[in-house]
Formats: sequence, structure tokens, C-alpha cells
Amino acid sequence: MTKDFSPDVLNERRLEAVRLRLDGHTVAEVAKRTGLSAPTISAAWKAFREGGWEAVPIRQRGRPKGEGTQLGTGEHQLLWQCLADQPPAPLAAWNTRALAKAVAQATDKAPSPRTIDHWLDDQGLKPTPLALEGVERKRSTAGRWVRQQVMPIVEQINKGGGSNWQGGVRVVTQTDTTSRRYQLYLHGKRGALFTRCLASPPNADDYLAMFERLAADGPAALIFHGAFFQASPEIRRWLEQNPQMQLMAVPADAL
Amino acid sequence: MTSLTHLQRLEAESIQIMREVVAETENPVMLYSVGKDSAVMLHLARKAFAPSPPPFPLLHVDTRWKFRAMYEFRDRMAEDVGMDLLVHINPEGIDKDINPFTHGSAIHTDVMKTEGLKQALDKYGFDAAFGGARRDEEKSRAKERIFSFRTTQHRWDPKNQRPELWKLYNTRKHKGESIRVFPISNWTELDIWQYIYLQNIPIVPLYYAAERPVVERDGALIMVDDERMPMEPGEVPMLRKVRFRTLGCYPLTGAIESEADTLPAIIQEMLLTKTSERQGRVIDHDSAASMEKKKQEGYF
Repeated sequence: MTKDFSPDVLNERRLEAVRLRLDGHTVAEVAKRTGLSAPTISAAWKAFREGGWEAVPIRQRGRPKGEGTQLGTGEHQLLWQCLADQPPAPLAAWNTRALAKAVAQATDKAPSPRTIDHWLDDQGLKPTPLALEGVERKRSTAGRWVRQQVMPIVEQINKGGGSNWQGGVRVVTQTDTTSRRYQLYLHGKRGALFTRCLASPPNADDYLAMFERLAADGPAALIFHGAFFQASPEIRRWLEQNPQMQLMAVPADAL
Repeated sequence: MTSLTHLQRLEAESIQIMREVVAETENPVMLYSVGKDSAVMLHLARKAFAPSPPPFPLLHVDTRWKFRAMYEFRDRMAEDVGMDLLVHINPEGIDKDINPFTHGSAIHTDVMKTEGLKQALDKYGFDAAFGGARRDEEKSRAKERIFSFRTTQHRWDPKNQRPELWKLYNTRKHKGESIRVFPISNWTELDIWQYIYLQNIPIVPLYYAAERPVVERDGALIMVDDERMPMEPGEVPMLRKVRFRTLGCYPLTGAIESEADTLPAIIQEMLLTKTSERQGRVIDHDSAASMEKKKQEGYF
């Protein structure tokens, strides 16, 4: 409950809780009136007794804004350049760790993967994974597709010790130049993001380079949204020759 | 006395034009391209002659390259309205397998649409043809009169048009001449959408935004509607949320990226747009004043 409050609201409630405690209300009564949990009320009361009213408000959460590693224009350009290129093997696309390493090697800065993650977020390059669990239960075409086509393959890959991936392609606008980019992205275990951003729509070679690395370590399943692979003879041919790769294209407007 | 809304005035004008044509000509026909303007024109025709069906057939000059959804819609509509649907495909175009990819948009349009239309009008002897062109689409359509006279060779002379003062139309024609009549010429794209919304007129689903497979060609988003669409080496179509402001032959019709999947959303989008719907038509980019040239040669 307490986690849902903004820092300002939480501080007001903590001060109110101390005032109520001073008025003789029990912790249970205060909890009911302020919506705070009993440990939070006790913590506020303890802080008041040790440091007075000034000690009751909580400290600012996290690191103050602007104290993290700042990426300059040069690093921005370098990151976009990296994203346009192939990532180092065996990666199918760039992750935050590889991007951080690339920046550290090319510049005198050593941004953390978390800094790169924030940069991806700022650039609008963090698509959310497909919400398959919600769709699976639906009595719709999409729900049937997930139940009948996706889940059996996912389970088969899991049993065989292979890897399951989700991914897609979409158009994004580069914030600093407003030029359009075509983002290829993958979500691996626990939603880890792998991505590339190209200046033109990805062609069969771009997709196949990614598929080859995904399937290099054994069976792999990829649920992919945003491309119409049926129209590409190169990809159809590759999939026929590489049965360890199971590609499931998300039907249009299914999700 | 209550005054009419602007849509009611446009509707009344269009109905008057249609009745005038039926009264003054011998063998009229309605050109039916399956798009939204045709849908509105057909709706107006049904209103003009209700409770009977309109006293003329529908003519679709087919090129064999329309969207699949358009063919499905055309056949369903013809059944629903109970009118005769004449479909004409230029046999010469079939023999030579004229298509937009091998022959280019200009030849494809000339053979399959312009020549096809002229053949159909001659074949059935139609002396008046309703068309769904609007002034706001393109500059040559803006200056064309509602009653547009054509020579025996179906040519249009933009320098020799009849005045249409106080909405009085001179329908007298010389032997062999025919008339192209544009009952919704004074409507705008926004009027069309508002009318479709208010009258609940069925339209082809391609007008609504949905995820569709498209490729980028010369800045236009071209939908991959069937297996005849040749891919560039390595090209992979992307699924993008798009809709069409205008419908024609699918390889020559550009989609726009849009989230408008309902009529109110489309109307909202129309209120903000600053470009003509014809910007999506590849055939309009052929050469300077290409539409006027095509119209002079007989294009509708």
C-alpha cells in the first residue's frame, strides 16, 4: 500500500500518523485512518522520537536526477551507429551490456548497462513484450492462435532444452534527429531486451542474421510481430532448411 | 421553416442532378469504382428514386488489380441493392497482360481504365455516365463542370465548358456526344465522411486502420494484397497500422499510417489533414497536369 503513494503524499501521511499517535490513537487506528502499514507508522514514530518533526519525512528515493553517467552527443551517435550494425557474436541483437561495452571501448566513458537502459527508454526503444498470457485465455481468434499454435511449440522447445523468444519489428522516430528508424527487437528470458535499429526497412539478410544466431545453440522458438514473412522466399527457404528454428508470426491485429 | 444543414443542401443538389440526368438522357449509367465516393453516390441514387431501385445499371471498369476486399464488397453491394452490375475489362489488356509492374502506371491506367471505360460506354451505348469525382480532389476536377460533355471520341475540352448558372444545367447534346455527370462534385472529403457516418453507409473495410502488410516504394506504403506483387530481392513486407484515403489498383495506391479505425476517428483525422487524398495515388504523380491530360483523353 505504502509503495503506491508518491513521496509527497507519503510524507504527509507519516506526519499525520505521528500527530495521531501523539493524540493517543493506537497503531491499528492510525493505520486505518492514514492507509499506512503498521511498520511504516512505527518507523515514522521512531524517527519522530529520535529526531523530531524534521526526521519524519522520508529521504528522496534513489539517486538525485543528473548524478548518473551523462551520455554526450558523441555517445548518442555511437549508440545509434552500433544499433545499425551487427552485434558481436553470439548475440542476435544488441543488449545493454554489449552496448555499454562498445561505448567504453570507443570513448573515455564507461556507462553502466543501466545507463544504456535509461538511454533506450529515453529514445523510445523499449517495446513491451507481447502479453500472451492474457490473450491465451481469450475466446477469440488470437486466443485460439496462442492456445493451438504457440503453446504446443513453446512447451516442445522447453522440454527439448531450447530457447523461447519473442520479437518484432516497428517504426520508431529518432528523438534527436526526428528521422525514422526500423527497430528489430527480441525479448529473451525474463523480458531481457535485444535490439537493432536500421535506417531502412529490414531485409531478409537482416532477419536471417538474427535467426541464425538464435538457432546456433539448438532449438529455438520465436514469436514475431510486425513482419509478413510469407512474402519472402529467402526466409521461407531458410526456415525449411533449418527446422530447429520455429518461427511463429503473430497474425495481423491479433494482439 | 427550418433551414437545411450543409449536408442536406449537398444531398438535395446531388439528388436533383441525378433526377435531371434520368429525365434528360436516354441511357444513363452509374460508374461504380467501389470506393467511398461511389458508396455515397449509390446511396444518393437509391434515395433519389426510392422506393424503386435507380433506373440505371452500375458499371465497374475493372483492371484486375483492385484490392481483394474491393471485389468482395462490390459483389455483396450489387446483390444488396438489386441493381444490374456491369463489369468491363479491356480485352486487349487481358490479351497483353497489361499490369502496373511490367508496363508502368501510365500505360496500365490508359489501357485498363481510360480505354476500358471508353469501350464499355460504346459497347452499351450509354449517353450519360455518373462519376464520383469531387472538386477538392485535384485541380482539373475542380474546374470541370458538373455536366461535362465529351466528344464522340470521349475527349474533354476544358476550354469549352457550358456555364452552370444558378444550378441550371444545359443537357442538350449533339449526336454521338455523351455526358459525364458528377453529382457529388461540390462535396469535400470531409463531407463524404460525415455523410457516411450520419447515413450509416457501408464502405470497404480498407478505409479503416488495421495492421496490413506493406512495402515502401518511392515513399509510398504499398499493400501486398496478393502473391502477384513482386518483391525486390530480400524485401520483407512489414505489418503496419495503415488505412487508405482513396482506393484504386492496389500496386498504385498508397496507404497512410493511421490509428483511425472508426468513422469518428477518421472524421477527426480529416479535420486535421492538410493534404489531398489523391497524394496516395501513384498515377497522379506521372507528369505535370497528368490528370488533366488523362481527362482530355477520356479518363473519368
